[in-house]
Amino acid sequence: MVNLQLLLVDDEERFLETTQRLLEKRDIRTYTATNGLDALRLLDEYRIDVVILDVKMPGLDGVEVLRRIKQKKPLVEVIMLTGHASVESAVEGLKLGAFDYLMKPCDLSDLLEKAGEAHTKKQNMEEKIRKAKIEKIIEHPLSVFEKD
Amino acid sequence: MDSNGFKQIRRVILRRVLLVPVIILLLVCGTLVYYFANYSQQQVASELVRIASDHRRLIDQFFSERISDLQFISSNFNFNTLRYKSNLATIFYQLQSGSKAFFDLGVFDEQGNHVAYVGLYDLAGKNYAQTEWFKAVKEQGLYISDEFLGYRNIPHFIIAIKRVEGDRTWYIRATIDTFSFNDLVESIRVGKTGEAYIVNRQGILQTRRRSGGKVMETDEDYALYQIDDKEIHSFVTGGYWGQRYLYVIGPLKHLQWVLVVRQEIGDAYAPLTRAILVAIFMIIAGGAVVLVMTYIMATGLANQLMVSDMEKRQMRTQLIIAGKLAEVGEMSAGLAHEINNPLQVMKSERTLIEDILSDIEENEEIHDQENLRLIKDSVNQIGVQIERCGQITTGLLRFARKTESLMEQVKVQDFLPQVVGMIEQRARVENIRIVQKLDPDLPPILSDPNQLQQVFLNLLNNAVYALRGKDLGEIRIQAFQENNNITVTVTDNGCGISPEDMEKLFLPFFTTKPVGQGTGLGLSAVYGILKGLGGDITVSSELNVGTVFTVHLPPEPPGKEERIG
Repeated sequence: MVNLQLLLVDDEERFLETTQRLLEKRDIRTYTATNGLDALRLLDEYRIDVVILDVKMPGLDGVEVLRRIKQKKPLVEVIMLTGHASVESAVEGLKLGAFDYLMKPCDLSDLLEKAGEAHTKKQNMEEKIRKAKIEKIIEHPLSVFEKD
Repeated sequence: MDSNGFKQIRRVILRRVLLVPVIILLLVCGTLVYYFANYSQQQVASELVRIASDHRRLIDQFFSERISDLQFISSNFNFNTLRYKSNLATIFYQLQSGSKAFFDLGVFDEQGNHVAYVGLYDLAGKNYAQTEWFKAVKEQGLYISDEFLGYRNIPHFIIAIKRVEGDRTWYIRATIDTFSFNDLVESIRVGKTGEAYIVNRQGILQTRRRSGGKVMETDEDYALYQIDDKEIHSFVTGGYWGQRYLYVIGPLKHLQWVLVVRQEIGDAYAPLTRAILVAIFMIIAGGAVVLVMTYIMATGLANQLMVSDMEKRQMRTQLIIAGKLAEVGEMSAGLAHEINNPLQVMKSERTLIEDILSDIEENEEIHDQENLRLIKDSVNQIGVQIERCGQITTGLLRFARKTESLMEQVKVQDFLPQVVGMIEQRARVENIRIVQKLDPDLPPILSDPNQLQQVFLNLLNNAVYALRGKDLGEIRIQAFQENNNITVTVTDNGCGISPEDMEKLFLPFFTTKPVGQGTGLGLSAVYGILKGLGGDITVSSELNVGTVFTVHLPPEPPGKEERIG
């Protein structure tokens, strides 16, 4: 899990704390947020690869946060976490571009597995984009000076 | 409801429908028969009275004519003419040509000597001074005798007239032919037993009686007669059936005789009896038809009432169940969510403890291995229990229809035998026969085979449980098409479900199994899954008879819009 940076969003603080500790122990840089707005701020501040996002939260709910993340950083992969088994919101999340969903209570191993898959996907996407950029630069060297 | 209720309803209907018409029918018929009987009795009596009075007039007239015949002779001929037999014979033959009733004719002098006689017997020269009739005619001038034997020793009666001719008194006497007089009276015939005869006031028969009794015999029934001195009178005598008579009795004008016309009651009232019998027969036959029709109607009605009552009950139960289930469904979903969050925390904490423990094991020297082992065991147990809670919340969510489904083409007729195969071993151990009657031509449906498997596995497991320890246990699985839906019934002849339990059947955590053997989530999950798939399940059961679960499956699941909420 090299270089994987996770953002954990849940309103359950103890869950965040413990899971963060567990993930850090496995050499995964982990940020935590107890609400959607904090999460969006952290996304701006740090390079984050995968977001684990609780569907049901006070304030901005998971689906709304997902929508904003995808607007802001389309490449960031989001895994929905639901305690409701509320397939409806999970399915809605998938439609909005979430990578997958996890049902509470989930094992750490499941979480790691899904997060790894999501990271791989993100890396692949970035790889593709990089290649496309290189090709573009080769074709039009001046485009190096263009802004992203 | 039981058959007692059915019989009671039928009895009530029968009573209400039959009682009033039957009472009215009986009242009407009774009244009609009563008045008709009265009327016809009067008719019969007055008819008999009419016949009797006609005949009495005839008989009275007979006597009047015979008397005037004799009076004519006595006043038109003198003694000296009539004392010669040849003259008397001429007159006698003239009389006989007018009426055959004269049998013989005689002339007597003042001393009662039979001076002249025309007739079959040799009576001339005999003296009659001491005979009853001679004394009577001497005194009264005109005398008609009762039947008597006289010199000739056969029953006959006579008419005698006294004639005073100057200083001479003489008498003329005629014998009336008993047979022709008998014919006159006996010619009255009414019905089979109607007869007429004459008795005198001493009760001696003066004419033959058809039903028994010769002339001059005593009439044994005379004591019963109610005789009016002038008028014709009718009455009915008492006594046993067949010996009761309708009597009409009238006195005759010229002598102390009475004409009796009588008919056996049974004969006289025969038409009436027939009419009443017909009426009774019709009442009984009509009543029987009405009874049978009413019985059939009442049975049908009671049946319908029972069926609709049962349907109403079932409907109400289903409504109650559906309402309860919807409520509990909402609650379950919320509950599961609220439990799942703490479970998630617990799970993380447990993982952390495990992590820390393995760190300790690797890096530090441990003084108390036994305690470490106990802690690890305990942490493990916490994990197991968290899993268990997770399963319960998953079950609850299944009931609340919040699980995801993967749709595939399912052929129920191929799919069900696979599910049955999973419990076959258990069924064999319990000695249960499994009968499958699956329509091989069922169209495939779009549904979730995993969830369907859960549904039928649950139903079959319950059936096996209901049949535990029972001889001749049988589970019958039927699948057939009904409209667009496919209906699957799972029937067992096991212990059945009590009505109280019926309402709670699909509620989560409701179980009749002993503690630890069932979570009570089986049927609730079945219900939730089927609702999620757009299907339905109903149940009917009777204690100690068996249970039928009926599952309806739609050809495809309903659209997403319908599933939200």
